[in-house]
Amino acid sequence: MPAIMARKVCKSYGDFEALREVSLSVDEGEFFGFVGPNGAGKTTLVRILTGQLAPTSGDVETMGIGQSDPLGIRKRVGIVPEAESPPTFLTAQEFLELICRIRSVKDVGEKVKHWLDFFQIHDKKDVLCKDLSKGQRQKVMLAAAFIHEPKLLILDEPSINLDPIFQKKLREYLQGVTKEGRTVFMCTHILDIAEKLCTRVAVINRGRIIAKGTLEDIRAKEGEHLEDVFMRLVGNEEPETAPVTGTTAVGKKGAGGKAATKTGGSEE
Amino acid sequence: MSGKGMKARSDVPPADESGDWNGESALSRFKLLFGAMFREEWRLHKSFVGSIGSGFFPVVIFFFSVVLAITSPVFLKNIDMSTILLGLHLAALLYGLFVGALAKIGEQAMTRRLGQVSFLMELPKFHPVSLKLMMAVFYLKDAVFYILYSIIPLVGGIGVSAALGRVSWLGVGILFVTMLLTFLLGMSLSFLLSAIALRSGAAAGAVGLGILGLVAAVYPLGMFTPGQLLFPLGFWEGLGLHYLLIAAVLTLLLSVAAVLAMRERPTAPEERYGSVLLETEGTFSFAGTLSVLVAKEWLELKRSRMLGAVFTGFLGPLLGIYAIVWLFQTGLSVVLDFNIIFYGGLIGFFGLMTYSWLTNIEPNEFMNVQPVTVDMVVKAKLVLYFLLTTPAALGYLAAIAVINGQLAMLPLAATVAMSTMVYVAAITGRMTGIRTNTMLFDAKVLGKFTASIVPPLIIATLASFWARDEPVISTVILVVMSVNLLVASKFIFDGIAGRWRTEPFGI
Repeated sequence: MPAIMARKVCKSYGDFEALREVSLSVDEGEFFGFVGPNGAGKTTLVRILTGQLAPTSGDVETMGIGQSDPLGIRKRVGIVPEAESPPTFLTAQEFLELICRIRSVKDVGEKVKHWLDFFQIHDKKDVLCKDLSKGQRQKVMLAAAFIHEPKLLILDEPSINLDPIFQKKLREYLQGVTKEGRTVFMCTHILDIAEKLCTRVAVINRGRIIAKGTLEDIRAKEGEHLEDVFMRLVGNEEPETAPVTGTTAVGKKGAGGKAATKTGGSEE
Repeated sequence: MSGKGMKARSDVPPADESGDWNGESALSRFKLLFGAMFREEWRLHKSFVGSIGSGFFPVVIFFFSVVLAITSPVFLKNIDMSTILLGLHLAALLYGLFVGALAKIGEQAMTRRLGQVSFLMELPKFHPVSLKLMMAVFYLKDAVFYILYSIIPLVGGIGVSAALGRVSWLGVGILFVTMLLTFLLGMSLSFLLSAIALRSGAAAGAVGLGILGLVAAVYPLGMFTPGQLLFPLGFWEGLGLHYLLIAAVLTLLLSVAAVLAMRERPTAPEERYGSVLLETEGTFSFAGTLSVLVAKEWLELKRSRMLGAVFTGFLGPLLGIYAIVWLFQTGLSVVLDFNIIFYGGLIGFFGLMTYSWLTNIEPNEFMNVQPVTVDMVVKAKLVLYFLLTTPAALGYLAAIAVINGQLAMLPLAATVAMSTMVYVAAITGRMTGIRTNTMLFDAKVLGKFTASIVPPLIIATLASFWARDEPVISTVILVVMSVNLLVASKFIFDGIAGRWRTEPFGI
């Protein structure tokens, strides 16, 4: 059973199409990168995958659970949202304790201590979340997503606001997660991180997937970095007149490159 | 509104090195910021309830006022014009005080509710715009907005009386001016108190005590008539046209003083608390699976320093109504036979204010990624609401029962109070979820809400009036009503999950 399965997912807001026939599949144990520029539709897909938003059309299954059971999805998944927003008037420790109680985590004290120590915010455990720095709030949100050790982590820009030391620490932790057979689905526009960590990536632009596969698959030539791939695919995309479906972006722009996948098409 | 509100920032011209806006005149700066803030306010309202809901709110106020104007001869035949004018101006003063306070409390609450979203009021933090200028613009914007949004529709509805020939058009015009001035007077007073409170709580308290002293000088001391201090009302008491001028000048002076008293916001110190969530959860263990959410709500209420506002929002209006009834009965010799059953009915209605405050503390957006649904949080808030209001409500009733010598009526009054409280809470939770304050600006929701709670309120009021002459019939009606309200509440509570389960947290 794939950890994530999305088939021809569309999401519209009036005339605006935030997602256009997005299809992808993420296997258990994979580290999947979902990259794209600002406003491409990454967060919209995350919200759909985590049961926060219903698609206009198409099917989604997260850990085998359909959209009809959003609570079931959120029980099984650890999610880091795009913007850090722990509760204003709880302390960092209380917030993590709350998450443990909501998720019926055992050994609350021990788990909370572990994650406070892991992110080195133990000295801030009694500080109200509103008074934490952005980076500290992000660490608290990460801890809240990891504390119940879910089989699937869906992370939307997880390293935002983290200093380089903790970006590295986070990378190492997430690599360890996939080694344990757990799955990571990560949205990011920090291509360096995606390149270092992900077994497969999908590139989204203007609501449609324009390339997906292993890094090797989507490279136009040997040694091309993900940033080059990204610039080639996204940077050269024509303005809004680009076809919605049926065109292979790589085939169109990447002369000599390997065609990775069809845009907006189904999972290969 | 956020994006659009933020967009308005680009309207603000860049400052040169000296902080000047490239030679822009003070008036043009003011106009520019006023326009941007006004748009922000309107878009904020629209973002909550949509264009139609926002646009219909003044229409609802207008029709409410028309209905009052048409039916007032029936309801108010025993009350003279001076009492009606006193009531209208007191209401305008209280509304002004509320809007003025909202400029401070509301902005803080909304900033918390909206989480990441920032208001134009935040400009002084990062740009060369003084907080004093922003507060002046904010104050004027609020005044204009609420005058257009509520005062004009309200007086416009009263104008129907003029069309029906009951009062003169000139009378309505003067009423508009005096109510407007009263509203502005209340707003500027509240605004000044807020500004002083930011500098010194003790000073604000002293000013507040001074104001209460002036109120006491009117009643019970009788040193002044109400119009001698509430200057716009003084015009109606025949004290002269200059009372309007005094009110206008005083409003201006208070507003200028408030702007000058405003201090740049100091950086708030870091707040620390030892972890008490799990311990507090134990205290609320009777709430079962909701206990940790109730504990969270309770801690947030305490730490946000909103506990005072919650109690004031509940007990304030109840004490105010008791004071008005007392004033009318003893001071103005108006015969109003309000017993404690009448207060019992009202308690349920004012409970709405308490629940509304509880929904203003935290947007809970982090819950969107947790296995928690909005209906769970609504129920947790309702548990806390009952815990907070039940002792206060029963204490209030018992106190009035003792004062009025109506202890025999206390069990029935308590039954009416509790059943209406449960019913209004169920309706409020079901219709407004965690967005009470904003959903009630939606004309459609407000209409349904009013249609749901006014009938039992009318029945309770009328039956309370019959309690003296027809005690058996009155008791039967009230008991039947209470049972029906409780049964209806059960079904309405059950519907909360269906209505809110799939809704997201946040605004």
